[in-house]
Amino acid sequence: MTATALPSQRTETAARSRRGALGKVKKLFFPVAPAYLFMVIPAIVLFTFFIIYPTIQGMFWSLTNYVGYGTWHFVGLANYKAAFSDPTIRDSYGFTLLFAVVACVVTNAVAMALALALNAKIKWRTGLRTVFFMPMVISGLVISYVFTFILSTSVPIIASAIHFAPLESSILANQHTAWLGVVFVASWVAIPGAIIIFLAGLVSIPTEVYEAASIDGANAWKKFQRMTFPLLFPFFVINTILTFKGFLNVYDVVVGLTNGGPGTATTSVAMEIFSGFFNGDYAYQMANAVIFFVITMFFAVFQLGVMRRRGGVL
Amino acid sequence: MKAVGLGAAALAVPGLVAGCSSASSGGPTKIVFEETKPEVVPYFSNLAAKFNASQSQVVVNHDSISSLIAEFVRGDPPDIDCDNYNLTTSIFVARGVLANLASLPQAKTIDPNIQALVTQYASFQGETSVLPYSIAAEGVIYNVDLFDKVGVSAVPTTWTEFLTVAEKFKSAGITPIYQTYGDTWTTQQGLFDYTVGGMIDVAAFYQQLAREGTNLGPNSAVSFEKDFTAPCQKMLSLAPYFNDNAIAKYYANGNTAFAAGQAGMYMQGPWAVGEILAINPKLKMGTFALPTTDDASQTKCRVNLDLAIWLPRSQAPAQRTAAIQFLDYLMQPNVMNAYNQANLAFSPLKNAPPQTSPIVAGLQKYVSSGRFYQGPGTYVPLTIPVGNFIQEMMLTGNVSGFTSSMDGAFQRLAIRTSA
Repeated sequence: MTATALPSQRTETAARSRRGALGKVKKLFFPVAPAYLFMVIPAIVLFTFFIIYPTIQGMFWSLTNYVGYGTWHFVGLANYKAAFSDPTIRDSYGFTLLFAVVACVVTNAVAMALALALNAKIKWRTGLRTVFFMPMVISGLVISYVFTFILSTSVPIIASAIHFAPLESSILANQHTAWLGVVFVASWVAIPGAIIIFLAGLVSIPTEVYEAASIDGANAWKKFQRMTFPLLFPFFVINTILTFKGFLNVYDVVVGLTNGGPGTATTSVAMEIFSGFFNGDYAYQMANAVIFFVITMFFAVFQLGVMRRRGGVL
Repeated sequence: MKAVGLGAAALAVPGLVAGCSSASSGGPTKIVFEETKPEVVPYFSNLAAKFNASQSQVVVNHDSISSLIAEFVRGDPPDIDCDNYNLTTSIFVARGVLANLASLPQAKTIDPNIQALVTQYASFQGETSVLPYSIAAEGVIYNVDLFDKVGVSAVPTTWTEFLTVAEKFKSAGITPIYQTYGDTWTTQQGLFDYTVGGMIDVAAFYQQLAREGTNLGPNSAVSFEKDFTAPCQKMLSLAPYFNDNAIAKYYANGNTAFAAGQAGMYMQGPWAVGEILAINPKLKMGTFALPTTDDASQTKCRVNLDLAIWLPRSQAPAQRTAAIQFLDYLMQPNVMNAYNQANLAFSPLKNAPPQTSPIVAGLQKYVSSGRFYQGPGTYVPLTIPVGNFIQEMMLTGNVSGFTSSMDGAFQRLAIRTSA
């Protein structure tokens, strides 16, 4: 590698010195070709202005007692200390993590099963795919309002007609079961997106490998276990990362279904952070947001590490 | 107070965008008047229209939907506001974003007992940031015909008399008091505020609590454990007089049941009266302050600053002048008293004519003589879910669980607000 690189480098250096002073100036301001800069700089500027700048601003305010307007002063790490001992915040993390893990497993398992079904040689395949993608284009808030009605009105009526006790009263009105309703609806919303990625993965698997497996006498389960799943693994990893990240930030589905209740049983971290804006607790919830950011970063790095180890190349 | 550093100044920039200044170059000055209490939006739109028609220098635009906090964050508050004053809006006062109205002649026309309600939540350097416009007073709403039916001729003035009335209803087979624990606010504003507020000096308690700060605990001079235990036990002792299954009953259920004459008494504010009359326009109602002791002279009623007027501190001079001109119009005694008379409320002006509606007139003597308090639940910041704590106490009867939750929450709050 080094041996082949050297001559070309030498030629380049020679060419540059011939170009003289102008070349040096160019090199100083355009270390890479201008065409790349035209593509990269707008992205960096927008990312900095809309993501990095507000993040740093939020971190700054988390060290103050600011409410969004008016007078303020520094309070050091007092917001962080209080956040760690606040049972309301602790409970919101408990709910959000439990919800994200369960919903992530449910979404990926169901989406993979549906993707396999929709990739099989079945009648009305295109039409069925369209039907299954529909939840994706409806607003999460609309879906959750519809499901609030279904879960708290329709389901109990049907359940009492067939004498199925667990669903005879609304699961959303019970402190211990409300989170299951949130998992169900949030997964329902997230499954189509996961199906699309799985389908893309399934299409990329060459049919020859299945033909070879059939000749060797592999049954359907063996084919899935030994061929489909390993070849689909990179897609599985990216889906896990995307859905888990999405579920950690859950907001609209909870607001529409339970608004964090009953009591505070289904209050998510994102809801807790947003509440600070109207409760006069802006700086305090900014501290919460920074803590949440660190936790999310930890998960992201951990998942990326797993992906690299298992040879995912996305 | 305000820390100024290079980093701070750079970071604070987005918050400092000045409000729109459509400074007049001839033509009338346009101002935004914000008032968002849904029930009286048409009333104030009508007042603004009358004012616009009466003169030609100022045009008032009534905004009834915006969010004040978002407007302050954007640096674009209304030119004049008339809304509910509570602990959350008192943050505007505490952070010094409201104008000082002390020099206005209207500031001297307000009953000082009522003006004091503003500073019980917050104050800024001794300024007069908010002028009260309308006081809502709350007590026990009773069904006049049912009182006659069970043989109660006068409203109870002592705790013993109150229990006697409840017993009379019970033996007549009528629910004495209707309760709705389903939503948390109904129990908090009614039962909880009336019993606790009637037994302690609410403003003094919270003032001392703030002084205790991080020292709040078993050894401090005041605490929820020390001061709220007895009132809460008294509140729970009323449980035998409530309807069954109160946890599954909500505000709307309570209004329907009371309108249908299913209960003798109902602990709600004047806002419920309109709802009840919508269901049963013929129902005869009255209100009395809940007596919590056997000394009738100690009885107080719960009030809140239903509407109060303020101006933002940063405002273009033309807008300030125009806003004060509209304030002069709104705060004329005849306009102010007429509003309160028409909306079952009480005027905060000195020497205001008494409220004549028989439904709430029973509370007039408490308002006139300053025997009132703002509900103990209203002093609790929204971050502390006091309503949920009360709901749990009503269901479990666990008073010490409630007081320790409250003491713990206030102590944690003090730790981060005192830093």
